Order: sequence, then C-alpha cells, then structure tokens
Amino acid sequence: MQILNRDVVAALFLVALTCTFFAASFTIRVTTYGTVGSYVWPRVILIALGALSILYLINSLRGIYNDDTVRPPGSPTAWLVRYRNALWCFFMYAMFLITLPYLGILLGGILFVFIVLNLMGGWGPMSLVTHAVIATGTMGSMWAIFTFGLQVILPEGQLLRFW
Amino acid sequence: MIIENILSAADTLITIQTMALMVLGVAAGLIAGAIPGFTITMAVVLTLPFTFGMSPIQGLATMIGVFVGGLSGGLMAGILTGIPGTPSSVATTFDGFPMARNGRPGLALGIGVWASFFGGIISAILLITVAPQLARIGLEFGPWDFFALVLFALTITASLSGDNLVKGLIAGALGLLVATVGSDEINGVERFSFGFEPIEQGFSFLPVLVGLFAFSQLLSDVQDRAKAREPLMPRGTSAVRIEHAQAIRQVIYQWVNLIRSSLIGVFTGILPAAGGSISNILAYDQAKKASKTPQVFGTGAPEGIVAPEAANNATAGGALITMMALGIPGDIVTAIMLGALLIHDVIPSPTFITDEPRLAYGIFMAFFFANFIMVAMQAICLRGFVLVTRLRMYVLASVILAYCGIGIFALNNIVFDMWTLLIFGVIGLVMKVMGFPLAPMILGVVLGHIAELNLNRALSTSDDLTLFLTRPWSLFFLLLGFFSMLFPWYQKMRGKARWTLIYPSAMLICLGIPLFMMQGIFRPSLALVIIASGVWLCGRHWRNGWKLQSP
Repeated sequence: MQILNRDVVAALFLVALTCTFFAASFTIRVTTYGTVGSYVWPRVILIALGALSILYLINSLRGIYNDDTVRPPGSPTAWLVRYRNALWCFFMYAMFLITLPYLGILLGGILFVFIVLNLMGGWGPMSLVTHAVIATGTMGSMWAIFTFGLQVILPEGQLLRFW
Repeated sequence: MIIENILSAADTLITIQTMALMVLGVAAGLIAGAIPGFTITMAVVLTLPFTFGMSPIQGLATMIGVFVGGLSGGLMAGILTGIPGTPSSVATTFDGFPMARNGRPGLALGIGVWASFFGGIISAILLITVAPQLARIGLEFGPWDFFALVLFALTITASLSGDNLVKGLIAGALGLLVATVGSDEINGVERFSFGFEPIEQGFSFLPVLVGLFAFSQLLSDVQDRAKAREPLMPRGTSAVRIEHAQAIRQVIYQWVNLIRSSLIGVFTGILPAAGGSISNILAYDQAKKASKTPQVFGTGAPEGIVAPEAANNATAGGALITMMALGIPGDIVTAIMLGALLIHDVIPSPTFITDEPRLAYGIFMAFFFANFIMVAMQAICLRGFVLVTRLRMYVLASVILAYCGIGIFALNNIVFDMWTLLIFGVIGLVMKVMGFPLAPMILGVVLGHIAELNLNRALSTSDDLTLFLTRPWSLFFLLLGFFSMLFPWYQKMRGKARWTLIYPSAMLICLGIPLFMMQGIFRPSLALVIIASGVWLCGRHWRNGWKLQSP
C-alpha cells in the first residue's frame, strides 16, 4: 500500500471537491414550481463522482496506477523544468488577459505571441527579428480578418483609444 | 423524397462562395492532418470562430471540409515519415511507411488518398440513406430512452478512451458537473456559482471545449523544450508525385477489403466512442485476418494501406449519422459541430432531418463533395502541404494560443470567455498529465444538458423509476452501457479468466431481451437470432468444458 503518490493526492482533491459541491447543493433554491428540483441532477452526479473518487482513492492506495506512462518528475525543480513551457504559456496568457483593457487585442496579442515565441524559441538576435515578424504578421492579419472580414469588434484597449 | 431533398440542398450548397470555403476547409484540414501532434479536432476547433459570420450551411460545410481533409492529411505524415499525423492514421504507417521506404512513396500516397476517397464516398452514401432511417427510430425514443442513450455514450467513451475506466468515468462525471454550473435551464435556478457573477449564467460551452482540448493539447505538444524547436517533419519529403492511375487500380482491385473496411469505419463512427483512432486499427486487423497472404502485412502491402484509410474516412460519415439523426455527438469533432449548429440556433434531434431537410441534406452533400475536393487538393497541392509541416511546433503553438483567445472572444464578445478558456486549459493539461482521458469530460459537458433535460422530462411524466428498465430502448442502452463498462476488463482478462468466456454470450442474450420487447416482427425476430447466437456460443464453451483459449 502506498501512502502518498500523485494519484492519492488527486483522489483526495476529488473527494474534497465532491464534498464542497455536495454541501453547496443544499444552497440551491427550492422552487414551488417544476416537478423535479434543480438540486436533483447535480446530486445524482455528485453521488456518482463521490463513489468513483473513493474507488480511485482505494486503487491509488493499492498502487494500481503506478505503471502509468506519465512519470512524476520528482523534485519541485525538476517539475518546474519539465513544465516550464506550459507554465510560461499560462502565465503569459493570464498577463495578456489582465492587460487586455489597456493594450487591447492587437497590441496585447502581438506582445503575447512575441514573448511566448522568445520564451520557447530563444532570445538570439536573429530569433528576435523572426519572432517579431511572426508576431506582428500573424496577429495583424488575424485582427484584420476578425475586424474587417467577420465584423467582430475586438477590444482595442485604452492605449490605442488614447492614441 | 431523398432525391428531392438532395436537389433542394444542392441549390444552397453549390455556390461559388460555399465551394470556395470548402476548398479552404479541406486545405486547412490536410495541413492540420499532416502535422504530427496536431489533431483533426484541433483543426475543427480552430475553424469554428470563422464560421460565426457564415450561414449554417456554409459554416458546417467548411467544418466538414476540415474534418475530411484532416482525416486524409494524416496519411501524408504517416507514409512519408512513419509518424502518423493523427491517431486515425496509425495503422496506415504499418504498411505505408515500408512501401515508401521501398521506393514507392507516390504509390503509397496514391493508395491512401484513393482509399480515403472511396471510403468517404461509401460512408456518404450510407449517411444519406441510413441517417433518415435512424432518425425515424429516434422518433420512438422517449425521455427515458434519451437519458439512457446519454449514459451509454458516456460509459462507452470512458471505457474506450483509455486503459483506466475509473479515470474515464470520473472525467465524464466532471464534465456533467461542469454543465450544471450556472442557471438551470429548466427552472432558471442558479447553481454552484459561489457568488461569482460571471458564472451565474454558466460556462459557455465552446470556451470550455476549446480550453479542455485545444489549449491543453498545444501546451502538452510544447512540453518538450528541444522537440518544440524542431521542424514538425524532416526535410527531403517534398519531391513526391502521387501515382494516381496505378493507385486507383490497386484500390478497386481490393474492393472487398475496401467495402469491409468502410463498413467497419461507418459502424465505429455510429457508436458513440473513439471514432477513427479505433476504426483504422480494427479495419487493418480484419484485412490482415482475411488476407491470403497475411505475412506480407507490415512490409508494404497495399491492403494494409487501403483498410485503415478507407475505415478512418468512413468513420466521419458514421459519426455524422448519429449526430444528425439523434442529436448525440459520437466524438469530440461532432460535439464541436453540434456546438456550431447550436450557435446558429439549429438543434439536431430525430425531427431535424424532416424539419430542416435543406440544411440536413446540405450537410450530407457537403460530406460527399468534400471527398472529391480532398482528392483534387491532394493531387495539386501535396508539395505545398508538406512544406507547411516544416514549421516549428513552438511557433505554431504560440500563434494558435493567441488565435484561440480571439476566436473565443468573437463568440459572445465577452472577455470572461477568454478566462474560461485559460481555466479549462489548465484543468485539461493537469488531467492529461494525471492520465485522465479528456474525451469523456468533453462529451459530459456537451451531453450534460441533454441528460438533465430528459431526466427532468421523464420524472415529470411519471415518478415510476422502473420505466427506465421496462421501456425497451432505455433497457437496451442501459445494458449496452453496463457491458461497455465491463469491456476493458474483458479485453484485459480475455484468455485468462473463465468469466470472459460467458461475456459475449451474456451480452448477446441480455441485448436480445429488450429487442424482443419491441413492437413489430423484424426486431423480435432479430432478437431471437441474437439470443440463439448467445445460447449457441455459451453451449460451445460448455461442450469444451469452459477451457480458456489465448486470444
């Protein structure tokens, strides 16, 4: 029996999630109309999810999932190194969304693509030029297609509006 | 009637604009399919935002073009490099790559392209003829039956999408749970918003889908830093010419293999399951078993290219049959197409084909034409498609991530949808890393509302829960769901445990019971044949003393 592995942690998280949602299902308003309450279906799902999560927990404790193809990377540093690209993308995407009201989709998008390209492809002088061209060209054309072709009003951002 | 509907649909479909969009769609699909790691689903997801401004038929025709192009594009990478472009071309590499290495890449590509074409055409004919009949059966379904069908769709997807059933079922349940967040469709009551205003109306369906699938897929593709910087396909593959005449002769010469593989593809597509990724291997396996020279398989046998390619293109037609006739998406691609239809306020259901014949037959015709366009494009632009695959994955991923955001914003003009995309992208990647299949979760999100609506209707009509077991179709789907849940264990234990001997016969006998309960003469007669086969199988094992045989 294995006391702690990543599947045990995931199973415990799922059990906690199920409990939270189950508790929240009691706050769903009970209506005087409708034959079936709005809480019925979520509770059916949560009971099934709870049972499956417990089964998953038991299986994880028995070490059933140990031969999974994806192996844990080990130390936190190794974990950061392995998922570095993904983490950078998530972070940069979140930054893109946070700065969206100021930079808008066009400027923010060019900046996002440019920085992500450099983070994943390297910061050499030649790369910087190539990445700048790719970022400007792709985001500019996408912006033009959506704005003029599909008539979608994309967020222009305070910076461009001011300018 | 069918001819009348086809002519009426052709009128809407055959316009310069729609045909041009289909050509673009097929080209995009061929490119996406040719890029290893870039799935057809991703290509269809990325096409979706462009279809917002189009009419339903134009949007769907474009997406079908991408779908068909993607299915055929996978063979280019598989044959030329040995790395399948998509999971649906895995078996194509078994013989396609050896044939290419033996100095016949043009013939290998030609056989693949023409087998795809004929597989697609057979499946299109079946789509046009079978879908209206299946829809007629669908009209017999009550809410109990639809609810059971959704449960079956989720269990079979969970059981076929990975080694681990529990993780698959958890993913399906999580998808259903996500669909309950926000305002309840039936009573208008807010659920699980935890006081957070943007989700009071619930998560939009497409940002969740794109986040879970495309976003997480891209990030998983660039996970390996060194690989992300390499070109997607090696150099030296552009100077190939397809040998059309000889390829057509080879494919037609194997017409039995072609028809059998196409039927396997259509049947796999109709089942709400993993689609092309399964059908190509099944068809290859059957072609090998039926061949007089099975020993040549794996060394560049033309049969080994015809079977998987005919099957994977035919699967698309099968998946469309279920979506069009019952409104239940068979796989992720059709789930996205369903989303595209919903954007245009078109809701597929058993009455869809009769209520909207122009649109329904337009979709059928688009699938038919897409196969012709695919062959033409492969013949003309093969060199160009191969050149595109010289791109590096990190470049593709960075641009597509930004594009996903813009596309999702364009859906409702809501910035929160872009956050939804990010959140579900994180969830998708974490689930992938943890070994959870994403297909059941995506289908859970799509089918959650249908399941709840039908459960509600069923319980509002009668509080008698036994109706789920006494109505033939409901019982049929529940039994199918039960046996599909046992299927992974059956596969694992086959030849090792005695109970696996009884599994096929028990399934046949059990499935025969609800069929026997149905009205008419045909279905009860069919039930008797099925039950008799089950009893015969059981008797055979009994006579052999329940001896285990290796599979």
